[in-house]
Amino acid sequence: MWAYEKRLQYPVKITKTCPKTAQLIISQYGGPDGELSASMRYLAQRYSMPVKKVGGLLTDIGTEEINHMEIICAMVYQLTKNLTPEQAKTAGFDAYYVDHTSGLWPQAAAGVPFTSLEFQSKGDTFADLFEDMAAEQKARTVYENLLRVIDDPDVRAPLKYLREREIVHFQRFGEALEMTKEKLDHNNYYFFNAEFDKKMLRK
Amino acid sequence: MKEQNACGCTPQTLAMASVPMQEWCEPYDLATAIYSGTLFPCLNLNFFDAEDIPSPFRDKPAATKATEHEKALREVCKVGFAVNDLTLYLDTHPDCPHGIKLMKELLQQRLDGLAQYAGQYHPLTQLSIVTGIPNSNQYEWDEGPLPWDPFGSESEQGGLL
Repeated sequence: MWAYEKRLQYPVKITKTCPKTAQLIISQYGGPDGELSASMRYLAQRYSMPVKKVGGLLTDIGTEEINHMEIICAMVYQLTKNLTPEQAKTAGFDAYYVDHTSGLWPQAAAGVPFTSLEFQSKGDTFADLFEDMAAEQKARTVYENLLRVIDDPDVRAPLKYLREREIVHFQRFGEALEMTKEKLDHNNYYFFNAEFDKKMLRK
Repeated sequence: MKEQNACGCTPQTLAMASVPMQEWCEPYDLATAIYSGTLFPCLNLNFFDAEDIPSPFRDKPAATKATEHEKALREVCKVGFAVNDLTLYLDTHPDCPHGIKLMKELLQQRLDGLAQYAGQYHPLTQLSIVTGIPNSNQYEWDEGPLPWDPFGSESEQGGLL
């Protein structure tokens, strides 16, 4: 169950229209390491997690990723809201404009549509937690790449914030890994799937 | 695994990653926390490419053009963010007394802040309609700008964060 709160987790107020910047940032909406695939990844993985606390953590981080998706969408919206026909021809944004005008549609910066192929829900605790940690690192890289090419401080401040959230989430998933290892049967450490072979969990 | 070493992690094993458990460190003030993206200085190491970004949460009297309404919303965001970050910390440190104490203080601040904001401006949550505007006969859920549109699409709105 989710309840909406009418504000962004981090306020966004961008005054300068810039379709080029929108075209880059949209990758964190529907791109391979974007916030939509992050939230869907964690919220999908949580059901079969054998350790209750890890299922709880995936719920809370998955929820925060939805907040982040909303921040990214707000940025794209504000960057393109007052677009002139001349600005719509901006290299990189022109193709998007033809299909979506200034509506929001989840795609990667290079135009590839959002797809669930971008994430995995493997039904294996370690495979999933390693994927989650790697996902946070990949998203951090994207935010760092964006920070290197975007100058507007109104855009940079939320990007800096979102980058740091990736680092915090990586740490929490690492801690979830430790919490899960404590629950394992030492004699069968590598070769079982805690989500499927439930008898291998320590009581 | 049975034994734990000093960092709180399980003993290291080949072909298995380990991440040290975070120890409690004195948190930032709430404005620095949301600007930095974490409550915890120990999780916020240098990133040189982002050091030039001015903080929207620190109001230098000369530099800010923020309205009272914007400042009030930033206060709600500051407390809300601290709750969000501490939630994840407590997910993996459910017994930490420092974290539990701070969380209870922050939740009270959040409850009061949402009611106060609803009373002064408009409700951000449905529950703050009854906590913040108890005597109103109206249903105020549609008041105020939409979160992604701080300038407002309609002419009577504008200049809000």
